[in-house]
Amino acid sequence: MTGFLLGRLAQAVLVMLVMSVLVFLGVYAIGNPIDVLIDPAATQAMRAAIIRQYGLDLPLWQQYGHFLGNILHGDFGNSFVFRIPVLSLILSRLPATLELTVLALLIAAVLGVPLGIWAGYRPEARSSRAIMAFSTLGFSVPTFWIGLLLILFFSVELRWLPSGGRGPVGPLGLSIWTPEGWSYLLLPALNLSLFKLGLLVRLVRAGTEEVMGSEHVRFARAQGLPESQVVGLHVLKNIGIPIVTVFGLEFGSTLAFAVVTETVFNWPGMGKLVIESITSLDRPVMVAYLILVVLLFVVINLFVELTYGFLDPRVRAR
Amino acid sequence: MNRRQFLSATTATALLPASLALAQGQGAGRTLTVGVRSGPESIDPHWSTLGGHIEALRHVYDSLVAQDENLVLKPGLATSWRAVDDTTWEFKLREGVTFHDGSPFTAEDVKFSLERIPQVTGPMSMTLYTKRAKSAEVVDPLTIRFVTDGPAPTLPNDFTRLMIVPRKIGAAPRNEEFNSGAAAIGTGPFRFVRWEPRGDLVMERYDGWWALKEGAAQPWARVIRREIPNDAARIAALKSGQVDMINYVPATDVASLQRDPTMDVVVGDSVYVFNVYFTLAEKLPRPAKVDGREITDNPFRDIRVRQAMDLAIDRRALARVVFEGLAKPMSQLMPDSFFGASPNLPERRPDLPRARALLAEAGYPRGFEIDFHSTTNRLPGDSALCEALAQQWSRIGVKANPNAVTGTVFFPASTRGEYSLQMSGWGTLTGEAAYTYGALIHGPDPSVGLGNFNRSGYSNPEVNKLLLDGSRTLDDAKRREMFARAAEISMNERPMLPIVMPQTVWAMGKNKLLFTPRVDQETLAQLVAPKGA
Repeated sequence: MTGFLLGRLAQAVLVMLVMSVLVFLGVYAIGNPIDVLIDPAATQAMRAAIIRQYGLDLPLWQQYGHFLGNILHGDFGNSFVFRIPVLSLILSRLPATLELTVLALLIAAVLGVPLGIWAGYRPEARSSRAIMAFSTLGFSVPTFWIGLLLILFFSVELRWLPSGGRGPVGPLGLSIWTPEGWSYLLLPALNLSLFKLGLLVRLVRAGTEEVMGSEHVRFARAQGLPESQVVGLHVLKNIGIPIVTVFGLEFGSTLAFAVVTETVFNWPGMGKLVIESITSLDRPVMVAYLILVVLLFVVINLFVELTYGFLDPRVRAR
Repeated sequence: MNRRQFLSATTATALLPASLALAQGQGAGRTLTVGVRSGPESIDPHWSTLGGHIEALRHVYDSLVAQDENLVLKPGLATSWRAVDDTTWEFKLREGVTFHDGSPFTAEDVKFSLERIPQVTGPMSMTLYTKRAKSAEVVDPLTIRFVTDGPAPTLPNDFTRLMIVPRKIGAAPRNEEFNSGAAAIGTGPFRFVRWEPRGDLVMERYDGWWALKEGAAQPWARVIRREIPNDAARIAALKSGQVDMINYVPATDVASLQRDPTMDVVVGDSVYVFNVYFTLAEKLPRPAKVDGREITDNPFRDIRVRQAMDLAIDRRALARVVFEGLAKPMSQLMPDSFFGASPNLPERRPDLPRARALLAEAGYPRGFEIDFHSTTNRLPGDSALCEALAQQWSRIGVKANPNAVTGTVFFPASTRGEYSLQMSGWGTLTGEAAYTYGALIHGPDPSVGLGNFNRSGYSNPEVNKLLLDGSRTLDDAKRREMFARAAEISMNERPMLPIVMPQTVWAMGKNKLLFTPRVDQETLAQLVAPKGA
């Protein structure tokens, strides 16, 4: 077990190094961040002074060396735009994105798994066809467009829910403690969950259809077990592994890149921060963010693999 | 941290029943929520020259010199100013001004603010507006003198961006101390309550604001500036009643908002002008092509080519089609009303036969092909304008390949001189000619700090002399004359073509607010009033 974890850790560090090099090269290929950050009316002397001040006159490998050196001291550097430590800037956005992502995934799981099982259990039923048609919509219609429709309907026409922003923040930096907080959270979470919902429904249906025809289901039925137990226990456990895999990947990518939903609903999360940092070539924020994303994916994958063992005794044995 | 700050601020108010009662007497409880496209980058007013930064912090801080809605100078924290000699300016300061912590405002605070800028300013360097002042000398508590590096006639214009912080905060505070509120003390109409990067800026009324004593009305107890960069999200926030007004309504949404019986729309001129820059270098970085073959000559070096391309542009049509009528044709780099604009540059109207003839005379009877770059999503309408211009040029046989790229790509490449023909917007933020013509038209010359944004490479000795002398002439009438002359010569030589000035649009609930637009596009709560109050 320890060897396994250490191996994973080494892998993570390597990927993070590669990532940071890629970001450095990428920003360098676009151009000098100063040309975006600086006031266009600045004189030539001011421009030169600012480039020196930010160390952008150094060769790229030296800039990267400084960056690595600082990271070893736990310092990710300061944002070019805000001059506050990037780590605190990014982490201050984490709760917002976290609650949005978790709620979206919960909606997707709570609705998607039962609907998918039903659609796989009764593939010919009218309701199953409706579910499948809906799931196709879920992941083929662009998120931003659905988001705008949701806003138009629930916020502008009915005025039931706010059109964007985030409610009052309570303990842990979360906004789920008050009804007002939920009113802000609901629409973006729903919007974010639709794609995952569609994906999950299809995945679960395919798995259920396959498992329903297998021998152990027939044996379970022959044993006289009630249908609820057959589906709820024997089928669900067998389709568990692909669901958990996709769930983990989706959790990571949603957490990291909920950009579109966060933009449309003006949700002050990490995705919005990083897209704004890209448009202002705020390199320290971009690098730190992507490194954190790599870390996040590694951790999530680790959990996913540990869950396999829990779901499938054969994996545990290995 | 923010939360604690907020809590302590509210308890402090609760413990002061007198001030609370006063606020209520003047209509407390009124909150103005504004949906803005961009916000500050810090609460330190000296951190950045960015428009959205300055605009937001004008609620908390006052500048030494103020500007009316057409950018004409007027007294701010300074009541009057005069040039004592060629290199000395004297400013008289307003009496009875207090900071939000109750301490009085004096000349020491002005000196402190000026001197702290080079230490704390960021990449959008505020030294742009203070670099001419070499030193400050406090004459008495309400008089201060600045010694400049040579005659600096535009120092009062520059100081419209010099915001004053109290000396007692000391040299240490940086962005974090300002963002937490600890050092965010100004003399402006609102106290800072809380802010987080790219989030809400919350402020509350300061009853001791000096302008209130002079009869200014300031009806808001609380102001929230909510940053909503996405246009559709900003409009949705207004329509759903989450915000009271929004700025920068995109031209494409104006018509539908105007039809909406629950909305008011306010249109104002801006200081921004879209300009097309010809690269005048011997060789073009991306060569022109004739009949599909690259040529070594740079066609733009022939003034007839530049004239022909100008004559192919129908500015009224561009304003009508690209900007839905919300733009004005331009024939110089800044609005006619600004200091140093020329009265002798009439509107440019298209003349296609003449354009074709000029092109043929210059040796390009079948036109040529050229890459044309512009920004996208930098200013409203930029990429659509780029494409529309290319279409208009195609009518005289000039095949411009439109390439609208994001600012992150455009500005570095433009600085490296990689574009042959380009378009971007420029705003004359100080409201006078030295700022714009010095940067765009003067030949690039680091030794005098001019021509720093000269993208064409244009350099006319006569114009250079006028601009350099103008920047050192204290006599207003003479200086105005010199800049107007420089504008006429350079605009007629057409190293760059001013196209249109896009107008700015605000929207708000019907019959709810009174608001006069400013040409610098600032949306200041102290200049917004509830209707019928």
